[in-house]
Amino acid sequence: MTKYVVKRILFMFLTMFVITVMCFVLIKLLPLPAVREMGRDINLVLAKREKMGYNKPIMVQFFLYLKSIFTEWDWGVGEQMYEGLGIWDVMMQKLPYTIVVNLYSILLSIPLGLGLGIYAALKKNKWQDAVISTMVMVFISVPSYVYAFLVQYIFCFKLNWFPLQLASLSQAGSLVSGKMFVSMVPAIMSLSFGSIAGFTRYTRAELSEVLTGDYMLLARTKGLTKAQAISRHALRNAMVVILPMIIGEFIGILGGSMIIENIFGIPGIGNLYVNSINVRDYNFFMALNIFYTLIGLVSGIVIDISYGFIDPRIRMGSKK
Amino acid sequence: MKKVLALAAASCLMVGTVSGLAEGFTPAPSYDVGERTFYAGTVNLEAAPVGGGSITTDIYAGEEGKDYTDEKMYTFNDFTSALTSSMNWDVLSWETSDDSAITDYIITGFYGFHMNSDKTGYSITPEAAAEMPVDVTAEYVGQYGIKEGETGKAWRIALNPDLCFNDGTKVTADDYVYSMQQQLNPKILNRRADSWYDGTFSIVNAKNYLYAGKTTYDAIPDTAENLLSAGTEVYLDMSFWGIVGAPDADGNPAPQYVSIADETLYRDAAVEEGKAEDWVSAKYLFDNYLAAGAPYESYQGDYLKVANAAKDVTWEDVGLKKIDDYTIDFVLEAAVAEPAFYVPYNLSGNFLVKKDLYEACKTFYKEGAQVETEEEADEVKSDYCRSLEKTVSYGPYMLTSFQLDKEYTLSRNENWFGYHDGKHLGQYQTDAIVVSVIADHATQLLAFEKGEVDGVGLQSEDMDKYASSKYIHYTPQSYTTKLTWNTDYAKLVEHGTNSQILVIDEFRKGFAFALDANDFATSYTAAGTAGFGMLNYMYCYNPFTGEAYRDSVPAKKALVELFGMEYGEGKDYATLDEAYEAMTGYNMDYARELMAVAADKAIEAGIWDGEAAITLDIRVYNSDEIYNKMYNYFKTQLTEAVKGTKFEGKIDMTMTPDADYYETNYSGGADMIFTTWGGAAMDPFGVFARCYCDASDGSGNQMEYGYDTSKIMVTYDFGGEIGEVTDTLQHWAMWANNATADVPVIFEKLGAFADYAYSTRCEVVAGVEHAFLNWFTTTSLYYRNVASLTSQKVNWASDTYLNVIGFGGLEYYTYNYDDAAWADYIANNTLVY
Repeated sequence: MTKYVVKRILFMFLTMFVITVMCFVLIKLLPLPAVREMGRDINLVLAKREKMGYNKPIMVQFFLYLKSIFTEWDWGVGEQMYEGLGIWDVMMQKLPYTIVVNLYSILLSIPLGLGLGIYAALKKNKWQDAVISTMVMVFISVPSYVYAFLVQYIFCFKLNWFPLQLASLSQAGSLVSGKMFVSMVPAIMSLSFGSIAGFTRYTRAELSEVLTGDYMLLARTKGLTKAQAISRHALRNAMVVILPMIIGEFIGILGGSMIIENIFGIPGIGNLYVNSINVRDYNFFMALNIFYTLIGLVSGIVIDISYGFIDPRIRMGSKK
Repeated sequence: MKKVLALAAASCLMVGTVSGLAEGFTPAPSYDVGERTFYAGTVNLEAAPVGGGSITTDIYAGEEGKDYTDEKMYTFNDFTSALTSSMNWDVLSWETSDDSAITDYIITGFYGFHMNSDKTGYSITPEAAAEMPVDVTAEYVGQYGIKEGETGKAWRIALNPDLCFNDGTKVTADDYVYSMQQQLNPKILNRRADSWYDGTFSIVNAKNYLYAGKTTYDAIPDTAENLLSAGTEVYLDMSFWGIVGAPDADGNPAPQYVSIADETLYRDAAVEEGKAEDWVSAKYLFDNYLAAGAPYESYQGDYLKVANAAKDVTWEDVGLKKIDDYTIDFVLEAAVAEPAFYVPYNLSGNFLVKKDLYEACKTFYKEGAQVETEEEADEVKSDYCRSLEKTVSYGPYMLTSFQLDKEYTLSRNENWFGYHDGKHLGQYQTDAIVVSVIADHATQLLAFEKGEVDGVGLQSEDMDKYASSKYIHYTPQSYTTKLTWNTDYAKLVEHGTNSQILVIDEFRKGFAFALDANDFATSYTAAGTAGFGMLNYMYCYNPFTGEAYRDSVPAKKALVELFGMEYGEGKDYATLDEAYEAMTGYNMDYARELMAVAADKAIEAGIWDGEAAITLDIRVYNSDEIYNKMYNYFKTQLTEAVKGTKFEGKIDMTMTPDADYYETNYSGGADMIFTTWGGAAMDPFGVFARCYCDASDGSGNQMEYGYDTSKIMVTYDFGGEIGEVTDTLQHWAMWANNATADVPVIFEKLGAFADYAYSTRCEVVAGVEHAFLNWFTTTSLYYRNVASLTSQKVNWASDTYLNVIGFGGLEYYTYNYDDAAWADYIANNTLVY
């Protein structure tokens, strides 16, 4: 197992290096952002670019980029956006908001999603199942920003239960204060609907299948109650599929949600990646690219490893 | 059997296709638009008055009897869509107008533009300066190249001794000297440095100090051929071919400027590998496109440069001098015209930074690695004024909170002299400004209706609900939106839709006359007003009187004549004003006549056969509801315009969403697009050279692809000894933008444009505008305005928009409720707008 994990991690770094090289070269091959600006001295921008090493060969630029990161933990500064601010500082200021909002959302979604899924599976083909399944289809089909607008209009504007926008630090004091949490509720609700529906659907589907398995009959014939059989056997087997999905959701929270963040004024990381490509800010693009690549690769490993823990029959790296 | 039938059907289809191709229309290989000449009429030559005009200094002091200094708290709640691009409020390096959202409140300019006492215009008063500027050119005769008898080149500014930073530290002349040294610091290369060497207020040796021995690339002073024969190296701006940064065979990126003798090949990513011109060199581009006799020879001046090494100067050579602790002199490269307005105008901002904080914000690098001191560094970076703790104020407000991408607060800077000097009565009732980030427009409206923000911009879809609100304001902008047609025959033929019909002048003119600008503006824009010309009512041609170019007689006349309206005794309209007021730009009967002529002309020229289907495509940013409506309008009007002509039933329109539609247009890839230009509202004279008449091949700002203004001959009659003068439209536009040596024919006969009175200049520019529009390569649709709602909490000083100062700005906001009263009011009432 250890050998397998070490091997996967080494491959992860190799993959990451290849992706990083490719992205760096490709983004640098794009023409530089235009410097034509009416009435302004182009030479000034060109001289600045010269100082920043833009005119050096691409692989030399790549080497200098890596050197700055590894020797000084310097990810550069924003050039086309957040001009002059450190990339790392901006990301670290924005990431906590994304994590906190999404974390609350997942913590709400998991129990509700699993609970509804289990209930629907146990009531399969009864009216309760039909209601839950219909709701699941609705919430999976409708994009989250639609709920967001509805939640905002009904709960924040009409009923005035929550503020329209996330509270600022000067209003709420801290990111984990009660006031901040209340202002997060509309965003959490909007993010949760889809996740709850997803968890419900998977749990129902898996559990329905497992419940019809022969070993469930065997468990009951051994004298276990229905509840014992479900919790000890059915749920555990169903989790082989559901738990990786939950882990994936946890890792995915680092990615943020661009639209929800825009609607509720969450100063998170959701917009950064797209904006960095749109305005061609190399430093932001590369830092975010490395960040998201790392998330993707790590989540792959974690999910693969988790299978072994959930179901001992699955042996990682075994040739047998 | 089925197989046989299928094969037979397929064969028929193929035969049909091939025969269709064989019969397909092949347009003529080229089309000649013919000689284009334009008579711009007579111009009354009047010299500019000596010393220019004069400005007023009386300012509005608020409503009589109103207490602006009570103890209550008044907060203006505003929002912005994003802070992404407005994170730099350092006066030395700010870049975007978004940056100035903070800068405007935390600095004080040398001179301020305020509402005059009767609220009809602006007055200018000293702010960071203590007095109006004084011309001291005579004191510098023999220095900085200043000759005896010259004026307007050196200006003395007495500094306001009460100006201090928000921590109470007094500002002295030494602070200004230090600040300018940082502004021109060659190791920092601050972005605003060019404000002090590249405009009308260029400080002597500022550029040389900044570039300190480095090379700059400046416009060629002669033809490339003459320069080459004189042994001068000439460089090509690689943006000419759009390949700056393109890799050579070793992966090295192409620099912006490459010698035209350099044969290094760079990969042009726009061309498929293996096809012609997939790899090009500077030499190849010059030889084939820009050299004498080559197709783009006329663009030599735009894209060929000579390298100039900056002179090695010391700070002592720079024209900013400390005279005493509270006096500084600016010594300029050139005299300032109309100094009473333009010296304060150029000094309405400031470049002051606080020395100890600025030094603390510096980090030093040598060849990319961090070093300890500025002396050993080759690059200095600064994060001054990019966060709360690194911000200092010397304006009416100071930054008191800042949360990235969420919110910032500006509060009163109690150390600002204006609160205590008795000269700012009736100003700054606002105690604090809170700006939140609200990205989504629907949320912005909800926040406004809840009373959480005090103003909101409106979009066209909001107008049904709010158009009749008494809280609505229309703020004019200098931008004009127009419909622009591609007239490059070869490019249009490439489109393969027979859209080459657009090269026929009568066709475009007919299309233009089928559009009703009034109808268009009211139906499809939130607040736009019908547009007919290139410059709208925001353009002011006389800064001393504030007269709008669009309201001038020559400007009105240009448009009335453009649309063929006649006025005078026995004509359709009695007066010019009457004709101008009645203008719609719409005449469907005339449009049909023009279309009939266009069809015959197109057939005669072989660019259409009278049968082939024609499809005109409009490229738009996206296919939202409003674009669809506009497109349908154009399609309907075009269909109407061709009724009864040979085009009827053979012409259609399509709409293609294209996020890069401007770029597509600049490469000749579009048939037509919406285009918008504006800015520089105090300089209507320079706009044509900078925006509309610079390059017909998409390499400049001009959007009318294929419309070569360097080939249109325009004649003015100046009367008297000068008589008629003829030159290209492009050269007239350049002359109006103060070009001299580049327009030798005009300059030789008329001298400098700035030597003439505003009335004369206005007549010349009206001629340029008329000539530009005369061939209908574009037609104006609407002048842009921004519609916004203002909260019931706040009052603006003026309901009328005034040049330069708008509605008076935040400095004159007054409040109907203080914060506590407003909170109480919105908690117990539903706001109705």
